Amino acid sequence: MTCSETFPSESQRRAQSRFLELVAAVDQADSAPQLLRTTRALADALESHRREATAEPPTGDALACLVRILGYNNPGAAVAAVDGLIAGGPSAVSALLEGLDDRNYGARAWAVRALAGIGDVRGLDLLEQALADDIGPSVRRAAASGMGTLRLDPLSAPQRAAVQERALQALQGARYDGEWVVRYAVAAALEKLALPPQPLEEGRDAAVSTLVTLADIEHEEVPVVRLRARLALTRLTAP
Amino acid sequence: MSGVHESPPPLTAAGEPISEAEAHRRLRQSEDQSLQYYAAWWLGKMRSQHPETIPLLLWALQQRQPREEGAGVEHNAVARNAARALGKVGDQRVVPELLAALADDDEGLREAAARALGELGATAAVLPLCGRLASGLEGAGACRPNSPKLQEPCEALIEALGDIGVADAVVLTTIAPFLDHERPLIRSAAARALLQLTGDPAWGEPLLTLLEHPQLQVRRAALMDLGAVGWRAALDPIRRTHAENSLKLIALRGLVEGGYGEPSTETLLEAMDDLL
Repeated sequence: MTCSETFPSESQRRAQSRFLELVAAVDQADSAPQLLRTTRALADALESHRREATAEPPTGDALACLVRILGYNNPGAAVAAVDGLIAGGPSAVSALLEGLDDRNYGARAWAVRALAGIGDVRGLDLLEQALADDIGPSVRRAAASGMGTLRLDPLSAPQRAAVQERALQALQGARYDGEWVVRYAVAAALEKLALPPQPLEEGRDAAVSTLVTLADIEHEEVPVVRLRARLALTRLTAP
Repeated sequence: MSGVHESPPPLTAAGEPISEAEAHRRLRQSEDQSLQYYAAWWLGKMRSQHPETIPLLLWALQQRQPREEGAGVEHNAVARNAARALGKVGDQRVVPELLAALADDDEGLREAAARALGELGATAAVLPLCGRLASGLEGAGACRPNSPKLQEPCEALIEALGDIGVADAVVLTTIAPFLDHERPLIRSAAARALLQLTGDPAWGEPLLTLLEHPQLQVRRAALMDLGAVGWRAALDPIRRTHAENSLKLIALRGLVEGGYGEPSTETLLEAMDDLL
């Protein structure tokens, strides 16, 4: 046990009890607008908590509470909860993976958005699955986008290469998605995957060739997708 | 029926992927209207260019049937879907038949015909469309008793005029009164059409105001209208409005593809990236 856990500083104690109050307010909400308001307050508190560089990870209670909200079928509150979970960063990943109810499609879809925003590689399985066969275009869009913003810096070089390879394969597979917005997200994610600070070492050619197809009027009918792929190619081939 | 010697394969349930020949066969029969309804939709969605498609859709456009309570089938469902499909198939030769549908007693069929004529960019429809709107707020724009509908499908009529793009004085003065309609969706359609027709940013302002409307449905309509016009100056208000990212992305796609000038395409694409 570390000292800070035994003797939390005054400011930490204040922060934790503030979170507990906000969680209690969410639990007591008895109307949709009130749920939205209290969820937004909790998410905002997590945002400002994150901005304090020295802060301890947020409490598990706050994160678990936000995960529960994803299952309440209240889109406004779910958007706020996703923001809060993304602010929670890597500490939110286990709450998300543990709290996931496989039978609740809506909750899963919001969880995919949160995991895509956090970018923790523990969420990669779920992102791959969602991109390949989720029925909601906005979920596949978020999953594709998340492939481009995975946080690779904590990983060793071989781990990083393996994760990048999986992300690349998933994006190549989604290049024929029937929804333009998913193909758009694929183009944007391929660019992010291949550019510094986490340049794709192997597989760069594969990323470029997928982008070339997406930029080609013979293969891609939607102008904005072609424009996005062209922008990615310009940036990737810039000296 | 055409000279098919083999017995036809059973008609499969609506919703499955079907072939063009299957769609034609479903449309040609008239015992099961739900199959015709689906077939007409399918031919439009696929923008079928087969020579049989247009004659079959024109035949379907003449069908009239009452609404089936409980079956979820709208009044004149087959004819309305045929009109929508004719707009998508994109052949100008069907304009006279759509103009006749624009004069039909069924308001829903008039609406579908107006949208199709707008999609076809049919300049021959400009005066008939203006004619249906000419009675203004007190006539075309008035509420019907015991119905959420207006006397005329004003939104569709106005949007069609904007899409066709003939910016003469008659068109502009016909549309202008609807900027003051009590329903925000009609105001949105009027501002959109005037912005499309004149390119005058003054008509963009009402749309920006509607992006801040308390009702989500109104903000969504304003987003779609701004996207349809491609008015790039709307980027920041679109970003700020409270609505689903999916709809903001569709609107921004419209700004990229249909607009020009500032902000640049690259700026717009970056804004889209932030919404993924």
